[in-house]
Amino acid sequence: MEAESRILSRIKHALKERPKALLPEHPHPALSQDPRELLLKRLAENGAEGHLLDEEGVKRLLANLAQGLPGAAYGKGVPAALRLLPELPPEEAPLGVSRALFAVAETGTVALSSEDGRRAQLLPPVHLVLVEEKRVYPSLLEAFLDLKSLPSALGLHSGPSKSADIGQVMVKGVHGPGRLVVAVLQGTW
Amino acid sequence: MRVKAKLYPKEAARLLREKPGVRDAVTGATLHFEAGRKKAYQEVDAEAWRERAKRVKDHLLTHLDQYLELAEKRLQEKGVQVHWAEDPEEAHRILREIVARRGVRRAVKAKSMLTEELGVNPLLEALGVEVYETDLGEYLIQLLGEPPSHIVGPAIHLALSDIQRLFHSRFGTPLDASPEALAAVARRVLREAFLTAELGISGANFLVAETGTLVLMENEGNIRLATSLPKVHVAFVGIEKLLPRLHDLALFLPLTARAATGQRLSTYVSLIQGPAKEGEEGPEEVHVVLVDHGRTALLHDPEAWEVLRCLRCGACLNACPVYRQTGGHPYGYVYSGPIGAVLDPGLLGLEDTHPLPYASTLCGACYEACPVKIPIPKLLLTWRRRAVEQGLAQGWERAAIQAFSKVMQSPSLYRLFSKGLRGLPLPQDWLPLLRAWTEGRGPLKPSPKPFHQLWQELKE
Repeated sequence: MEAESRILSRIKHALKERPKALLPEHPHPALSQDPRELLLKRLAENGAEGHLLDEEGVKRLLANLAQGLPGAAYGKGVPAALRLLPELPPEEAPLGVSRALFAVAETGTVALSSEDGRRAQLLPPVHLVLVEEKRVYPSLLEAFLDLKSLPSALGLHSGPSKSADIGQVMVKGVHGPGRLVVAVLQGTW
Repeated sequence: MRVKAKLYPKEAARLLREKPGVRDAVTGATLHFEAGRKKAYQEVDAEAWRERAKRVKDHLLTHLDQYLELAEKRLQEKGVQVHWAEDPEEAHRILREIVARRGVRRAVKAKSMLTEELGVNPLLEALGVEVYETDLGEYLIQLLGEPPSHIVGPAIHLALSDIQRLFHSRFGTPLDASPEALAAVARRVLREAFLTAELGISGANFLVAETGTLVLMENEGNIRLATSLPKVHVAFVGIEKLLPRLHDLALFLPLTARAATGQRLSTYVSLIQGPAKEGEEGPEEVHVVLVDHGRTALLHDPEAWEVLRCLRCGACLNACPVYRQTGGHPYGYVYSGPIGAVLDPGLLGLEDTHPLPYASTLCGACYEACPVKIPIPKLLLTWRRRAVEQGLAQGWERAAIQAFSKVMQSPSLYRLFSKGLRGLPLPQDWLPLLRAWTEGRGPLKPSPKPFHQLWQELKE
């Protein structure tokens, strides 16, 4: 407590004579493009894979990804109909499947809540993220302005894990998944 | 950490002489970052973004006490334990208490410049805690026992061959192992650490006051793992790192990513509200340590306080022709390059750092690159002026500048001196002043024609 009052009183003293600066508003961007199209384009630019699919399409994609795999780790929000493989702990699973809270088109981003489960989002080498098309925001600003409540942790993922720390050569899958696949789901589910 | 900024000119000359490869590695990496930033700035109205970001930070800094109190309240509402530390000793006491109470034997760390300031790693080692830096670049320099050379790319001074040799001696990998193979080894070691550590330590890129949100940016996923797997997460946050509103992130996240690495957004952004809720995965305890360590003194400084807007993106390092020659080590403190040259004197006092404001050509590239428009060249001159006023600048400098000014003001004296100097032979050790230059480079050669003649010819 003592450090706090000392620091705050020094700040108050430092600011006594300083003119106060006004807080600017951020202009709203008007995005003309279909946010779903832009999301898929930006995901590809970020080194991820994006697909716009109906429920049958997602099942085909899942079956494709699951070929030869013993199981997968699932986030809580993944519907039973899409749990095609036996469930494995995320430490051992070759595939993680999550359901995103929302996605952002302009940056090619999926937003993953801790309520869905963090390990499945981070530990398996391949990560499949499901997101409803009505949860795709055109911009970060719109997504943040619309957020009513925040989970204990929200992870914004915009591509596969990567690093260029070794001799400036880009390596994927350094700590997190080296492959990110996003399925934008048409309709309600 | 021990501040060695006073040795800057000597250390820079020694590095150029003894490790010429560093110049190539750093130049290559910074030019790459710099090209990325330029391209990424072109995609947006960079001038408007920078101006808006500057104004948000100025608002925050001129209301800092209110926003700190709001942030503390919001954090506590979410179950985060908030601590305040004036200096490294207080920060150490807080961390020591957590380590003892939770019986911590192993800690995973996310890259953070503030924990470098505070000397968190030496403290943990002294407490018998095994510490793993988990950012790949940071892990490399931890293995080498070196400090970071760059704010964003701590290991950019290392060539692939340096890392191949390091991993060969440490892990027995072949001397020609690919970057993928080396990264796989590091991944295996660090994955084990993530799964067994009791404590995760991070800094923060931002702390949103309105919501009490800790914000961390990265590309590897190590920060998400370090803040998700261990039962305790401790974040050290400089008191200037706040943002007023959650939606300010819509500007600051992409702006920082574009300035730092030329990305639209960094691959992973963590927005952390607090410990895991009932039935949720994640840490049981989250601690935020709000650290001053020289920042309130800097806020009090009527000229230098603007440097507190800094987002630690490293863009000014990448743009700087002086930094490019040596990387960050000769600067002798956590923050190197142009920002270090104006931030370090503000945090530590000019007496311990006064050669740093001279580590610049004043070309202005740092200001052009800065996402929050910190007037670095102006601040460099401010610190130089103070060095002269405080008698810290060397006597010959004042005398030399007075003599130079006399000569430059008189056409006849100027002609006389330029003629005379061009005629003189310049042996390597002609003047002690030039030795630092000539030791790392070829001999100086005077131009065959005087400047005013060249200028005349250019005009014609």
